[in-house]
Amino acid sequence: MPVTDLPFQLAPASRFTIEQLTAAYNQTRVDYLVPMPMNAARLAEYIQHYDVDLERSAVALADEQMLGLGMLGVRPGCAWITRLGVLPGKRRRGVGWVLSQALLAAGDELGAERTILEVIKNNTPAYNLFLKHGFEVTRELVVLRRPPGPPAHPPPGEARALGRAEALARLAARPDPQSWITGTESLAHLEHLTGIQLVLPDGGRGWLVWQVQMFRGFPLLLSHLALRTEQGDPARVGNALLAHLYQQYPDLDTHTENFPAQDPHLPAFFDMGFMESFRRLEMHRLNRRGEHPT
Amino acid sequence: MPKILVIEDNPDSAELEKRVLAAKGYEVLEAPDAETGLQLAVDQHPDAIVLDLGLPDADGQTLVGWMRRVPALAHIPIIACTAWPEETARKMVEAYGCDGYIRKPISVATFAEQIAAYLRLAKTG
Repeated sequence: MPVTDLPFQLAPASRFTIEQLTAAYNQTRVDYLVPMPMNAARLAEYIQHYDVDLERSAVALADEQMLGLGMLGVRPGCAWITRLGVLPGKRRRGVGWVLSQALLAAGDELGAERTILEVIKNNTPAYNLFLKHGFEVTRELVVLRRPPGPPAHPPPGEARALGRAEALARLAARPDPQSWITGTESLAHLEHLTGIQLVLPDGGRGWLVWQVQMFRGFPLLLSHLALRTEQGDPARVGNALLAHLYQQYPDLDTHTENFPAQDPHLPAFFDMGFMESFRRLEMHRLNRRGEHPT
Repeated sequence: MPKILVIEDNPDSAELEKRVLAAKGYEVLEAPDAETGLQLAVDQHPDAIVLDLGLPDADGQTLVGWMRRVPALAHIPIIACTAWPEETARKMVEAYGCDGYIRKPISVATFAEQIAAYLRLAKTG
């Protein structure tokens, strides 16, 4: 374990207001390539959507100055480390190590069998930190964006709208492992979740679920896209599903996260005008109560 | 002198951009987030907008998309200011309909002239 010459203490994040945590989080990211700043409302939403437990999340303090923080999402059997960061001037002095160790210990105490997290690809210091903690890379995840564009023209097929309950039922039935952000538990927290189900003339079949984010009562952004091909070629079915979405919402921006880099629907996204923003590495560690990797 | 709206959440970056532009005589409006920026754009009709792509309430890209849908704002030059890698910045800016981009950290020596060039370009069409 790295030694630290910097005297600091850890305190539960629940001792601080959302505004204080937001300010600290933003300061830790100020020099990041992809800083992803938040305001208090956005952080509060993040905490709620992703089951972050502030009692088990930690803030590093020296003389009441926040040096860094890390948050822990908690679900049955699994914990998720997120928003971990240290102020630029206080890095490489063991603060990140101690914070992440505290989060891992909190996950252990809760009986989590494994802890997962994501690091932005090429964030070498963060990647190395978690390797030292025993994490392994599980897969690469892609973050995608699509700018507003002209309406799409879906191919012939039978489309049916899915209400929230139907959308959630389909999400819950996905057989493939999901990232924390794309998991059904996360999407179940979203207010404006909806979708479509589609059957193509050749028998191709699938569904697409998304959220419309609102701003002052107006639709602003599409996010949290999830789709599945139940029969047929995923690129073709995916393309038809996305065409239905962008026939309905051509002028909305889209931001959607954490598609596995090997997802067979990705070509359909690129055909529909999506761009890759950046990639993340998903990492996991089996905890003391879980099996150890061979 | 032209009126420039700087939408930037980082106080240090905002202050620097403001000082550099004000020193060249520009009138500078400041907004620390997308919502304030949109409101100021609607109310004040700036001659150009310098936009940070990473904002705390909505991404800069989303804001550009929104502004391009508002007829009164659609023709205001928007210059993205970002630390994203060159290739990503170029792709995003083109796709979202910004008029150009300036890489962060800005150059104090050239920033005002870069903005002036975008303003000239907008005038000549």
